[in-house]
Amino acid sequence: MKRKSNKKFNKRPQNPLSKLSLFQKSDSRFSKKCPLSGKDAPIVDYKNIKLLKRYISDTDKIMPSRITSVSQNKQRKLTSEIKKAKILGLI
Amino acid sequence: MSFYEHTLIAKQDTSTPELKKIEKKYEDIITNTEGEIIKIEKWGLLNFSKKIKAYNKGFYIHYKFKAESKTLEEIKKNSIIDNSLLRHLTVKYKKLDIETEYFTEKDSNEKKK
Repeated sequence: MKRKSNKKFNKRPQNPLSKLSLFQKSDSRFSKKCPLSGKDAPIVDYKNIKLLKRYISDTDKIMPSRITSVSQNKQRKLTSEIKKAKILGLI
Repeated sequence: MSFYEHTLIAKQDTSTPELKKIEKKYEDIITNTEGEIIKIEKWGLLNFSKKIKAYNKGFYIHYKFKAESKTLEEIKKNSIIDNSLLRHLTVKYKKLDIETEYFTEKDSNEKKK
């Protein structure tokens, strides 16, 4: 048996706009600065519950930094402060 | 000498004179072991997010003080034995910020109005 040639696939026209598909991340939308570092950043503390609740899911899990775009240094601090607040039953 | 913060959670059943006794007890422990109290905050009755030993609410007392390691041992010994306390937590700080209060008594004032 002879294999059918792949002409079918070659014939598909390549649009220049195909790169702008929905599944490709555009750089402008996803490059976001860390909301917890900088000059006017809020203090990360176990007493500051309003701030900590923003970084917790509905089932009380800590949100990953790739979603919240928190920097590595602050994410480490966030986890430790959230755990302290959980000991005291605040969150 | 370094700075510490200590928070206690007392049971919901404890009466107000008993609460004052607890507050004074730990105040004395800190001062008797060469520590300095900077500030005491009473956060009042707060709701827990989950039940702790079948309790839904608790009285919070918050100390800010300057002390050495031996006072921390004393506090730990006493708070583990204490039957009227549910939980406790100590945190070490390089700098204490005394001004900001996250648990002000706004909620209690609003209820009164």
